Amino acid sequence: MYRIVIDGSLCSGFGDCADLAPDVFELDGHGKAVLRIGTSVDAAVLEAAAACPMGAISVVEENAA
Amino acid sequence: MKTDPTFWLLARASGLTAYALLTASVLAGLVLKSRPFGRALKPSSVTDVHRFLALLGLGMLGLHAGSIMLDATVKMPIAGLFVPGASPYRPASVAFGVLAAELMVLIYGSFSVRKRIGGRNWRRLHWATYLVFVLGTAHGLFAGTDSSQPWARNLYLGAVGAVVFATAWRALARPTRPARPVPARPTPAPARERSA
Repeated sequence: MYRIVIDGSLCSGFGDCADLAPDVFELDGHGKAVLRIGTSVDAAVLEAAAACPMGAISVVEENAA
Repeated sequence: MKTDPTFWLLARASGLTAYALLTASVLAGLVLKSRPFGRALKPSSVTDVHRFLALLGLGMLGLHAGSIMLDATVKMPIAGLFVPGASPYRPASVAFGVLAAELMVLIYGSFSVRKRIGGRNWRRLHWATYLVFVLGTAHGLFAGTDSSQPWARNLYLGAVGAVVFATAWRALARPTRPARPVPARPTPAPARERSA
């Protein structure tokens, strides 16, 4: 399971994350990425984190308890 | 001295510099995508450098166009700077440069309307940067008067080689799409952080 953290000070709203993992990320009214859910098992979140041009997304892998 | 060579020298120097800056910006963009240096480079810094190099390149293009117009060696009407094919001097080769410059302005400017056109369309438009690079290279080679010089040929060769290499790296490395998800580790609590 992946816990996702967005650094709002870095996000510039490129939207790559919302395109790659639309179930997890969306752009809010200000064009900044926000989380729809805090954790996900979808490996697409890794893709989204790696694709972020600002490096604003951190993914922490956690053991599902 | 019959004519003042200042603007002619400035035109050639700014054209070559604009090309070098465009190449550097393209390389920075490719580094951003393929992350060949891992965590050594912060993505946000690379993005800043990428955009700043492009902006500097556009500034150089302005200087290039302005000095070409003011110079007396090549008689260039204003239309020739904006309308592809309207240049009396090497119309086709200059048209490559005009198209490249206009496309570059469009791509750079698209950042500010990214929300309106959507991220997907914005990235699609960004692919046109390759066209800018090809057109810019052709313009430099065929409209530039220094192209027969070994140093100029080396510059073009080096730029094309670097962009081809970085593009191949991006295509082959593809770190933005991991082939398989990282398997969950049996230990509780944060196992490791993947920031990118």
